[in-house]
Amino acid sequence: MRARVLLIAVALFALLAASASAHPLGNFSINHLDRLRVSADRVDVTYILDQAEIPTFQERGLSSDAVLAKKRAEVERGLVLTVNGARVPLAVAGPGQISFPPGQGGLKLTRVVLPLVARVPGPRSVQFHDGTFPGRIGWKAIVAQPGSGTDVHSSVSSGDPTSGLRSYPKSALRSPLDERDATLSVKPGNGSLTAPKGPDQGEATTHNRSGDGFAGVFADAAAGRGVLVFFLLAALAWGAMHALSPGHGKTMVAAYLVGTRGRARHAVALGATVTVTHTMGVFALGVVTLLLSQWILPEQLYPWLNLVSGLMVVVIGAAVLRKRVASSQFPVPSHHHHGHHHHHPADGGRRSADISPKGIIAMGASAGLIPCPSALVVLLAAIAQHQIALGLLLITMFSLGLAATLTGLGLVVVYANRLTSRINMSGRLVAALPAVSALVIVGAGCVLTAHAVPQLV
Amino acid sequence: MAAVFAVALVVFMLVNRGSRVHDTVSDADNPAALVGASTDTRIKSFQALVRAHPKDSRGYGLLADAYLQKVRETGDASYYTRAGAVLHTALRLNPRDPAALTGASTLALARHDFRGGLDYAEQARMAAPYVVKPLGDIVDAQVELGRYAEARRTLHLMVDAQPNLASYARVSYWRELHGDLPGAIRAMKLAVSAGGQAAENVAYVQTLLGNLYFTVGRLDDSREAYRTALARFPGYVPASAGLAGVEAAHGRFSIAIRRYRDAVARLPLPQYVVALGETELAAGRRAAARRDLALVGAEEKLLQANGVNTDVDLALFEASHGSPTRAVVLARRAWAQAPSVRSADALGWALTRAGRPAEGLRFGHRALALGSRDPMFLFHAGLSASAAGRAGEARAYLARSVALNRRFSPLYAPRAERALAEIAGGRLQVTG
Repeated sequence: MRARVLLIAVALFALLAASASAHPLGNFSINHLDRLRVSADRVDVTYILDQAEIPTFQERGLSSDAVLAKKRAEVERGLVLTVNGARVPLAVAGPGQISFPPGQGGLKLTRVVLPLVARVPGPRSVQFHDGTFPGRIGWKAIVAQPGSGTDVHSSVSSGDPTSGLRSYPKSALRSPLDERDATLSVKPGNGSLTAPKGPDQGEATTHNRSGDGFAGVFADAAAGRGVLVFFLLAALAWGAMHALSPGHGKTMVAAYLVGTRGRARHAVALGATVTVTHTMGVFALGVVTLLLSQWILPEQLYPWLNLVSGLMVVVIGAAVLRKRVASSQFPVPSHHHHGHHHHHPADGGRRSADISPKGIIAMGASAGLIPCPSALVVLLAAIAQHQIALGLLLITMFSLGLAATLTGLGLVVVYANRLTSRINMSGRLVAALPAVSALVIVGAGCVLTAHAVPQLV
Repeated sequence: MAAVFAVALVVFMLVNRGSRVHDTVSDADNPAALVGASTDTRIKSFQALVRAHPKDSRGYGLLADAYLQKVRETGDASYYTRAGAVLHTALRLNPRDPAALTGASTLALARHDFRGGLDYAEQARMAAPYVVKPLGDIVDAQVELGRYAEARRTLHLMVDAQPNLASYARVSYWRELHGDLPGAIRAMKLAVSAGGQAAENVAYVQTLLGNLYFTVGRLDDSREAYRTALARFPGYVPASAGLAGVEAAHGRFSIAIRRYRDAVARLPLPQYVVALGETELAAGRRAAARRDLALVGAEEKLLQANGVNTDVDLALFEASHGSPTRAVVLARRAWAQAPSVRSADALGWALTRAGRPAEGLRFGHRALALGSRDPMFLFHAGLSASAAGRAGEARAYLARSVALNRRFSPLYAPRAERALAEIAGGRLQVTG
């Protein structure tokens, strides 16, 4: 099973690389997805539309409000909700959001998210039909989500392999879904949902997907014969490797440790802070994304987070630089005069007095806060799959891997520093190193900020 | 990396939920059981077959064939991508798999890579000399490459081996290109009555029969053929567009425009968009026409982004409604890659529109060299001759363009008649 998962992933990578810019379902396609949630007194529907280049071009010249109004009219016309045998009107429950992401050939795509609601007391049987955009090719799907106060048995899957029509399965052995009808039977309960497991395995076993929590994850892990362990290790390894990609604060962490003459325990503390802040950052971003998804697309949040972390790094760099400049007015510390420095006599002559817990946390936070879209994608994919616990676990492992690399790097820097302190080197160069490091931090912060700004305008 | 991990995670979740694909395999293991099954059923079964026997190239060949049929039925080009990936795997497993080679040939032809398609089809023929299917691709490639004599020989082989829908339809097209329209209609009727595996196949030849009736001016028969096609395959866009054309020929522009609009809304292929725009121009709705025709420009950009820049239809569009200079570039490329009568016609018309009618007329002659009675070929050659100052020749071509169907095009048939009247009125200065 493991081999198969890997094989598919490798094949997918090849395919992703081959068609990076084209709409995966063709330039003509109109793709839509309904998320259904049946609660004790209401039925919620979130309608998501992903329209490819050509249909978007056909609506050029219309304002985005006019396009949104058009889509709303099509949705109100096309969605049919029947509860307990009677047709129930679905009311638009919010302004909805519309955006025009760039597509192929300099053309644009249209993306619409529209919340709808029908207030019905005590739903027992629910039929849903999506008759929007008849005859248009594309991915058409309905997924069920657990509501509150109900036990729902659904004919449609609870899993959405597209993460809300953001990415489509690339396997050549799967056809795009063409699902326009859903039937759900409802009993009062505590928010559980029994649904087919996957889109292609409709007749396969069903499983209660809510309220499982970690127990569910480990039950799945048992069923997956160690695949979970493999994935956790993969997440750890991937985090470790990911830390080596550009822009993940290695330089800053290293420079900070040099600049402040940190010690091994500082490096470890820094690593721990990175783990915690990165995990919290992704969780927070995930939660905020879910909450704000009514109004803001997560893609629009990244640039702001980039800006915040960039500015934070500049400030920290400036602070370290200021201390360096101030301390350079003291006699140049020389490695031959052990014990010269009061706080850490066993420190090989290095002074780490200016490492405060605050500085460590601020530095670690800025390294960890830098938004990591990939980690967020994993979390959102997990949420879309109702595997939130697994998603959180994977993110934690990922952050641990990230921190392991950064800590390892920090330790190398610290020990390299000690080594150089034993070798007789020019005092001036070594003395200048911390100040240079501070400048490197400021520079890195400026680069991050400069990268963030153009994305905002 | 990020995407791979996310997708791997999703895959893991799906796989983890336990798959039971093997249940359906028993059915797919026996392709004979699938005769007459819908394309979706065949796709599902072959997908399961391939999952069950991932090392067997034959399953991939069958699946690719079903994917290619799906594109014919829906115009959903994402199935081309799937078919390409599946064929790639099949040919890696067995580079001489006849079905996979035939699929690769069909896919190459669909992408207008006629030489590549011919190459694959000939390989398929060598791998399995008694399989007829590759012959169809060989004929198509030879016709598109302008090798009509060779195409005729292949066609003979094909009809002798298997007189069926595929071979009769190709006989019909070959006769049409050579100006034998009654013969073409007879052959297409045989194709219809031969029947096919998929409903779409029969609807397709019925639509082609409707097109032939339209060409010879039998509008009622034409409409009947399109209606039969639609009854057999509801919502079939080529037949809906055909019906729109009949309405336009009767001068009922509003109905025609509504029908074209419906076709374009479902499948905005350039040819339907152009037909819509030209009908709107004929109806005097210039603003709407300009707006709709701009869509073809956008599609051209997308095709270019996908590496396709030799399309004859796009060249004709640019010549008539866009930049004639660009049309010449496109048509020259098409002609260099596939010197067929269709590319000759496009290049001739592009040159004439770009102000080089003498050169244009030379290619017009090539387009008509086989004896074609295509009204558009004749109209293009007529206007080229007229612009080149050869009134007698122009009159002959233009008269023949409207001889069979006085309303062959809502936009160009009136122009042909106007040009004829101008020549008759002696307003055309004959020089040289």
